[in-house]
Amino acid sequence: MRALENIQILRQEKIPVESILQSPAGLVCLNDSIGLNNEIISKSLYRPQLALAGFIELFSNHSVQIFGNTEIFYLKSLTSEERIVAFCNLLNFKIPCIILTNNHILEPELLELASKNGIAVLSTPHDTTKTIYIMTEYLDDQFAPQAVVHGSFVDVYGVGILFMGRSGIGKSEVALDLVERGHRLVADDVVMLTKKKESILMGTGTNLVQHFMEIRGLGIIDVRQMFGVRSIRFQKRLEIIVELQEFNPDVDYTRIGQEDEPSNIMDVQISTVKLPIFPGKNITVIAEVVAVHYLLRTYGYNSALKFSERLQSEINRKSKSDSPFQFKRAVPYIQPDDE
Amino acid sequence: MIEQLVEVVNRAGIHTRPAAMIVKLAAKFKSDIYLVRDGFSINAKSIIGVMTLAAEQGAKIFVKIDGQDEQSAADELTQLFASGFGE
Repeated sequence: MRALENIQILRQEKIPVESILQSPAGLVCLNDSIGLNNEIISKSLYRPQLALAGFIELFSNHSVQIFGNTEIFYLKSLTSEERIVAFCNLLNFKIPCIILTNNHILEPELLELASKNGIAVLSTPHDTTKTIYIMTEYLDDQFAPQAVVHGSFVDVYGVGILFMGRSGIGKSEVALDLVERGHRLVADDVVMLTKKKESILMGTGTNLVQHFMEIRGLGIIDVRQMFGVRSIRFQKRLEIIVELQEFNPDVDYTRIGQEDEPSNIMDVQISTVKLPIFPGKNITVIAEVVAVHYLLRTYGYNSALKFSERLQSEINRKSKSDSPFQFKRAVPYIQPDDE
Repeated sequence: MIEQLVEVVNRAGIHTRPAAMIVKLAAKFKSDIYLVRDGFSINAKSIIGVMTLAAEQGAKIFVKIDGQDEQSAADELTQLFASGFGE
């Protein structure tokens, strides 16, 4: 699949500490914005309990350090000299920042030490579990791999369908047709995919072109203005790729649909349908059927499998009795019906 | 596969009209043409895509061309960028 081999994956390698102030954890800086330019290069969080106690092997110093109750009360239990020694176990490494949970504060001498070493000390009102949960989600998103693909992305009956194919094949026209039928456009032409967790791709448009679209021979149109806010959405999980191709007699198109040939984007498997197009073929309707078909399969109904089961039972039955072409003569209706 | 770097030289950058010129030129060729900026690769045959680059004067864009007529496509594209889109 050409278009997909060509995609370039973009990974954020570092973010400044300053940017995590925007996270929903409600962080505030305790030491006068010192160290806000430090770089975070890892999306993992670390509880430096053992490092404070002196065991510094395996200490992941590149991670954001979380000080919860354990760390704070451990430090409190020490004498002031011991406390400085314990804290210096961390400061001997280059660490990006320290987050204090539960609105804890650091002893003034430790705060000063952190400032001297250029380490940002942040505080959050949330408890440790919640902070870790919020920060993991935030950092996961910040470091998620992204890629731009060329295609039209539409939400059809709640199923995210990405139309791909060479330029000029009519992706935008199909998208427009779907919008006209009440489905919702996510992005046209430039679709930004972000990998979430391990198996989810979220698609969205870029800020600049969101919900604008080019129709050959007409120019650029604004779908949101023309069809209203009901006809758009900002992001959608990518579930199916529909690849539009010129009909090629040499290609083997699927006829039964029992097997699935997924595409691989950023190591996520996405179901893919190859649709040959030719005059008189209504791609829009097929796209709707593709979506409903996907929904049925998600809810456990596979048409192809069902049909194949029926066929099998018919073959089994037939082996016992008469001609294969013997039709039923009378259909027993619930009510007598002469229609 | 040809890969080369081009620079936007005209003062206004790639606004609507230059974008249309690029797309018109790219669409003439059979080759796949991609413009890459900040790691994002965009199909040069899509006007919305090219405008997404929002390339200002001095921006460096990486051009990737793959196909049977890649050489002439590369030549004409370089020329178009160098000419500053006639501005």
